Amino acid sequence: MNIFTSKIYLDNIEVIAIIGIIIGVLVFASTLFYVWGLLKPTADLKELKTRTNSWWAMAALIILTSLVHPALSFIAFGLLSFVALRELASISKNVRDEDRRVIIWCYLAIPIQYFIAYKGWFNIFVIFIPVFMFVWIPFMLVIRGATTEIGRSMSVLPTQLMLTVFSLSHLAYLLSLPNLEGFHAGGRGLLLFVVFLTEINDVFQFIWGKIFGKHKILPKISPNKTWEGFIGGILSTTILGYFLRFLTPFTGMEALIISFCIANAGFVGDIIISAVKRDIGIKDTGLLIPGHGGILDRIDSLSLSAPTFFYIVYNLYYAV
Amino acid sequence: MRRLFLGMLYGIGIRSFIKVIVGVKYLNREALKKEKQFIIVSNHNSHIDTLAIMAALPFGQVQHVHPIAAGDYFGSSKFKAGITQLFTNAILIRRSKNTDAPNPIELMSAAITRGESLILFPEGSRGTPGKMQEFKKGIGILLQMHPDISFIPIYMKGMGKVLPKGERLLVPFDTYVHFGNPRKCKATEVETIVKEIEEAILELN
Repeated sequence: MNIFTSKIYLDNIEVIAIIGIIIGVLVFASTLFYVWGLLKPTADLKELKTRTNSWWAMAALIILTSLVHPALSFIAFGLLSFVALRELASISKNVRDEDRRVIIWCYLAIPIQYFIAYKGWFNIFVIFIPVFMFVWIPFMLVIRGATTEIGRSMSVLPTQLMLTVFSLSHLAYLLSLPNLEGFHAGGRGLLLFVVFLTEINDVFQFIWGKIFGKHKILPKISPNKTWEGFIGGILSTTILGYFLRFLTPFTGMEALIISFCIANAGFVGDIIISAVKRDIGIKDTGLLIPGHGGILDRIDSLSLSAPTFFYIVYNLYYAV
Repeated sequence: MRRLFLGMLYGIGIRSFIKVIVGVKYLNREALKKEKQFIIVSNHNSHIDTLAIMAALPFGQVQHVHPIAAGDYFGSSKFKAGITQLFTNAILIRRSKNTDAPNPIELMSAAITRGESLILFPEGSRGTPGKMQEFKKGIGILLQMHPDISFIPIYMKGMGKVLPKGERLLVPFDTYVHFGNPRKCKATEVETIVKEIEEAILELN
């Protein structure tokens, strides 16, 4: 057992419980869609199936990497940010050819940001991208000398860093939070809490929308999203969050409010990426390959719910 | 030994680099497994092109597949030629008739007669990203001489952004390599064979 950091899990009954729940839900979902597909071959289950599969991948990423070594989780999240940023940079039509070399700086920010998260240097963590990179990238653009439409590149490149690197790195930072007295699940519990709620919120919105959906919420951006799905999803997520609060140090009331915030933030993140896609004129972000959804479609809601959740928890429990 | 060296180099080392770091996605890679001997023809925008194709080959195949490379560029010195041949199995050909180097068509034809496979970029050079230049006739002559050999068309997108001509810094971007299924040329005239290949490649866009 020495090769595993068994301490993390075996002492942590809450985390074991949620891992059990997650695997249970995933097995249930996969089986359900498989049987559904067999019984009704005409049903369009592609979206549901890819969502489930990416959820399996996400669960494996979080659970397996930390089984081997906690630092591996940071590398795995860094890689996730890298693939997402690469995808966004590749599809973006708002970046000029001259910006090619400057994009390297965006990529280099990833290992730095995750190293800071690993070390737990909170004060640097919160300013490195939103302050330092927001100056550094324009500076690098300026010294390359091409000024035509430089303003657009100055805003697009740092924003891409925010959406894919800054946002997701908060998931990793949860693992660097210090131990709180009387709270056993720790950062790993918080991480599972926010990822699980965000992903299941997507599923809830989808299901409520499918069953009761009538009134479109943002037809120009996401034609499939309805008020019924939005409200039903948020209510379900909020209630579920109340019952999952054993993963967190929250009181019942806090759990309700915070789950409500996660659900809303997840929705906003989703429609922001949708709007970006509309601008570029594509349906799935993995546009290079028709029919293969990109990774951005999988992390869109997390990119907003992760920082939202992080700062609420940090300021409630970890800020001195 | 060489089989193991090249197989490991491309099958593991370069393939992981190409897929994880550069962001190359392979479409219909099974096309490579359908024939034992073939001529791969592809559009050409970057040095990455050759690596991306080599890294897609099945393990045991790598040592039998030879990219056709410009002798004046990759063979400009003995050292450069040695490195190129050691790591890529390349057949270096001359691009102008003014040298006393052997005839390129004869070199390629001899390799095919030996049972080897080739990677050819009929555009001749890397050109500007996203634009396909007119094809050279060599591939037409070659396939006219060996009508029983299949060709595999490949269309690559985005490579010119990753490492354009004249650039040294590699910048990762999502790119794809789309393999067409192996097929034999229907045409018999050199010009029409070239046209057929060009269309087969553009079809994959």
